[in-house]
Amino acid sequence: MDDLLKTMQISAAGMRAQGTRLRTISENIANAASLPNSPGEDPYRRKVITFKNVLDRATGLEVVRADKIIHDKSKFSKQFDPSHPAADADGYVQTPNVNTLIEMMDMREAQRSYEANLNVIKSSKAMLNSTLDVLR
Amino acid sequence: MVSQVQNIANAAAAYAKAPGSQAASMDISGASKGPTFADMVKGTIHQAINTQQQSEAVSLAAINDRADITQVVTAVAEAEVTLQAVVAIRDKVIDAYREILRMPV
Repeated sequence: MDDLLKTMQISAAGMRAQGTRLRTISENIANAASLPNSPGEDPYRRKVITFKNVLDRATGLEVVRADKIIHDKSKFSKQFDPSHPAADADGYVQTPNVNTLIEMMDMREAQRSYEANLNVIKSSKAMLNSTLDVLR
Repeated sequence: MVSQVQNIANAAAAYAKAPGSQAASMDISGASKGPTFADMVKGTIHQAINTQQQSEAVSLAAINDRADITQVVTAVAEAEVTLQAVVAIRDKVIDAYREILRMPV
């Protein structure tokens, strides 16, 4: 296979991985206020995505894949709200370990990474086209 | 996709052979070695059809929710580049053929 076409495949895999990452981030942001229903229950736990370099057997290329979506093990924060059904004896409710600002930063990172991969595709396509222009 | 690339390779190989086959056809005996010009044109057209069919298959898979947008875009872009390569090579070969037809005998 032509190396420039391989480049397109690899960058497309990167874009897919960043898409999955953005999906995880959107789940975190959407659930930033998902509180438990009863005192013993846990609120929403933040999800973190990991990437892995895998060999794609169909094309024989090493591409990036979204590996696992794991839970963030950090502690939940607490909010004083005695009226809430999930409030403990002291009146505190456990809130998700999601920080919207961090999610926003991650989102911007995913966006930039997606754009970087897209630019690689664009430039490899431009290189292929300009090579073909030699024939014309 | 591998077949697309093989197609490019075949087209390029056919193109590389083209000057040789033209020289052979100018030979008085007329015995040409390798693929004929008609075969070559037929082959390139088949390649173009194949790449288009593959990109259409991926597009259809996307419509049926079996492929994502990036796959479609790369498949279509690849088909486009392959088609352009095939067309460019075909044009070049036909130009060479016309050049020979115009040659005063």
